[in-house]
Amino acid sequence: MKQKEFLATVLPIKDKLYRLAKRLLVSSEEAEDAVQEVFLKLWKGKSSMKNYKNPEAFAVTMTKNYCLDRLKSKQAGNLKIVHSNFQTGENLQKKIETNDGVELVFKIMESLPEKQRLVLQLRDVEQYDFEEIAEILDSSETTIRVTLSRARKAVREQLIKKHNYGVS
Amino acid sequence: MELVKIEQMLEAYFEGNTSLSEEQELRSFFRKEEIPAHLEAYRPLFKGLDTAKKETLQRTLSIPAPEKRNRFWMYSIAASFLVVLGVAGFMNSQSGLSSEEKEALAAFKQTKETMLLFSENLNKGTESMVHLKELTKGSEAIAVLNEFNESKKLILK
Repeated sequence: MKQKEFLATVLPIKDKLYRLAKRLLVSSEEAEDAVQEVFLKLWKGKSSMKNYKNPEAFAVTMTKNYCLDRLKSKQAGNLKIVHSNFQTGENLQKKIETNDGVELVFKIMESLPEKQRLVLQLRDVEQYDFEEIAEILDSSETTIRVTLSRARKAVREQLIKKHNYGVS
Repeated sequence: MELVKIEQMLEAYFEGNTSLSEEQELRSFFRKEEIPAHLEAYRPLFKGLDTAKKETLQRTLSIPAPEKRNRFWMYSIAASFLVVLGVAGFMNSQSGLSSEEKEALAAFKQTKETMLLFSENLNKGTESMVHLKELTKGSEAIAVLNEFNESKKLILK
């Protein structure tokens, strides 16, 4: 695989990879680093990339694995991921109002378990079909549906709670 | 009524039982200006998902340029091949004989044969010389006999 061919395969999905990395790592800078790393890894292993019938799913899988590794090593290093808690802060409250609750949805998504975040990102943001998500996450379609349902319900629950709180 | 369909779809959505096209329908429904109040709470969810997809990578990705290194390897391989070829050619030219050398070798062989023939004949000649020695002995004996005859003559006188 030549450079041109490689770029033609990877560049169109760079934003998808970035969004996935950001969903997991939260920090946009770390997500950028992650995409750059994955990009290099893909470049080094570009000869094997041809063998995959779905290079995009392969790249997404690699990004997912890299980010999960990063999260693991962070926890091992006792560095807690900075979660801005969505339930506190006046500043945030204002942001929520101006953004029609969109910001709140992001914060809720950040609070979800990694697996749910991944499925929600792949399905509801990037609109992959269940077969592809199962391939990326090395899981069955049924499991994916269950996880997805849990993630969607979790977002709904917290959203409704906030909505009602805002109304009353 | 469309609203009933939307509500059913929304229920299926939370159960994870909607298709991609149904989810697309839901998203476009919640993009509308006017939606029933009881569904208003879901608006941020779908709007948030729409917004999430708009984020793009701001950093320019870079890959190392390994082309140069590759070319270096190619050059070194080509160079060593040339060296091997050169050495092999030199060795080959050493073992191969030029026409002048061939001529000289043929002359040498011929000379050698001639010399051999010569020495063989010489040996034969030397062998014949042995007979000559006997002849000398014979002639010496004759000389003694002559002396004997002479002295015999003197006595007889």
